[in-house]
Amino acid sequence: MRLEHAVRVAASRERTWALLMDVPAVARCVPGAEEVTAVGPDRYKGAVRVGLGPIRLRLEGEVTVTQQDAGAGQATMRLDATDRAVGGAVRAELRVQVAEADGGTEVRLVTDATLAGRIGDLGQPLIKRQADRIVSELARCLERTLGS
Amino acid sequence: MSFELFRPRSLDDALALLARHQDAHVMAGATALVLLMRQGLVRPDRVVSLRDAGLGGIRREPDGSLWMGATTTIRDAETSDAVRSHSAALAATFGDVATLRVRCQATVGGNLAHADPAQDPPPMLIALGAEVEIARAGGARRSMAVEAFLVDQFTTALDPGELLVGVRVPAVPPGTRATYVKFLPKTADDYATVSVAAAVRMDGERIADARIALGSVGATAVRARRTEDALRGATVRAIGDAAALVRDEIAPIDDLRGTSAYKREMARVWTERAVRSLVA
Amino acid sequence: MGRHRIRIELNGTTRELAVEADRLLLDVLRGELGLTGTKEGCRIGICGVCTVLVDGRPMSSCLYPAVLADGAAVRTIEGIARDGELTPLQRAFIEQGGFQCGICTPGQIVSATALLEAHPRPTDDDIRQWMLGNLCRCTGYFGIVRAIRSSRGAPPPSTPGQAAQ
Repeated sequence: MRLEHAVRVAASRERTWALLMDVPAVARCVPGAEEVTAVGPDRYKGAVRVGLGPIRLRLEGEVTVTQQDAGAGQATMRLDATDRAVGGAVRAELRVQVAEADGGTEVRLVTDATLAGRIGDLGQPLIKRQADRIVSELARCLERTLGS
Repeated sequence: MSFELFRPRSLDDALALLARHQDAHVMAGATALVLLMRQGLVRPDRVVSLRDAGLGGIRREPDGSLWMGATTTIRDAETSDAVRSHSAALAATFGDVATLRVRCQATVGGNLAHADPAQDPPPMLIALGAEVEIARAGGARRSMAVEAFLVDQFTTALDPGELLVGVRVPAVPPGTRATYVKFLPKTADDYATVSVAAAVRMDGERIADARIALGSVGATAVRARRTEDALRGATVRAIGDAAALVRDEIAPIDDLRGTSAYKREMARVWTERAVRSLVA
Repeated sequence: MGRHRIRIELNGTTRELAVEADRLLLDVLRGELGLTGTKEGCRIGICGVCTVLVDGRPMSSCLYPAVLADGAAVRTIEGIARDGELTPLQRAFIEQGGFQCGICTPGQIVSATALLEAHPRPTDDDIRQWMLGNLCRCTGYFGIVRAIRSSRGAPPPSTPGQAAQ
């Protein structure tokens, strides 16, 4: 499942990049996210509550920044999370790209996610809509935080 | 895996339970809940059964509207003389749901509260301007249009502690013709690939009013306002172009019933056919 | 989590049992009550082999919480024949080739019994509409429809002990 989002923010590329690499700060922009804490260099753990009507998931896991290139404004993060109650897992790779644009910065997010177990049984189309919403809200929050 | 089950014998008792246990799931016909539990996607700690809470009943109100209590079964709504005489199209829509066994067990309120985007009753209820009535402990009640109640896939406007207690369908203006078209290219017991509910009233050669809603084409049933606007005041010659506008109002997804592009085109085709069938 | 006492009228006899909240009617019938005529199939309410009648209405017992049957009359395939006398519909299934492997047959007969009780003279369209949720992999449905059609208008025994005509 692939999701692509782009937002324009009124901040400089440097400030935008700094925020994006501050994973706990970005997590605060994810609806339903619980506190994210560092467990190692470029490794963080946390949880996020996601709902789809009567289905209530609590995805616990880790985010790892697997690659970053400040000069190119590009980074890759890996997310691994499971819901122990429902029995399912989400693995996602997020590729972030920032570039100067019109006095501000354009942020592009490409998310490739795989769902396993019962979460996968839900049906990719339904989850895609929900995942799309979450990433959209994340992008809007980043916009607000950085000013647009 | 079992849960604590409450079987309140009145609406007040049910509401008090939901106020106290805001995480409780609600069970009416139980079809949706049992399926979700079977799949392991929902593991309730507490369930409130509405079976004995006095939420059934179908009646014509003094103002000509039709009231269906939340725990009215889909089958009872389908076969009710009151529903049929209020709107034959609405009764037929209930009859289009799944199979007889599902209709005997599932309820009108449960159907709306479950808010599956592919269900049959919501588009028809929207085309008829229906409202839901919502109650909470303490006596407060509020009403809202069905189209506002269905917020997102499997998500309604119910706040914690609130309960859908019934649906009210306003009196149908004289001269209105309505239909529900369920495009079922696969099996007869399936959800629609796309579906169209239309209610049209003519005034001579012109379309005086049109209400159109589609199912299985977005996160919720979708009201096709641009199509409606293009039809209102126009003659039947406008139907083709008006139906084509529906393509931009919906957001179907690729799934086993078809691609998004296919569904968009089918929505156009069936909207046109539905409206033409009402003005012929 | 505790059990719930329920009372059902099962094939004409009152039964009281205690069931857990998440117990499904299908499992109670086949388990505690030992009535294995009702079959387990898809378990998602689609195939119809688990069909029973609750207050005369066909239900998927695989989706029906047993607690919801409290106070209701439940009829299974075991309760269709009276004192061992097959109903005209059941005889028609035999005579008209209404089954091959037999796995869907209890559900077919229970559904069709409800149809004929509600509509003694159904049209072919009525039959197909009513029965569309009872799937069969063997017969192609011809024998089933023939059996139901040939039972039209034949009164089933209405009280125990009264032989089928």
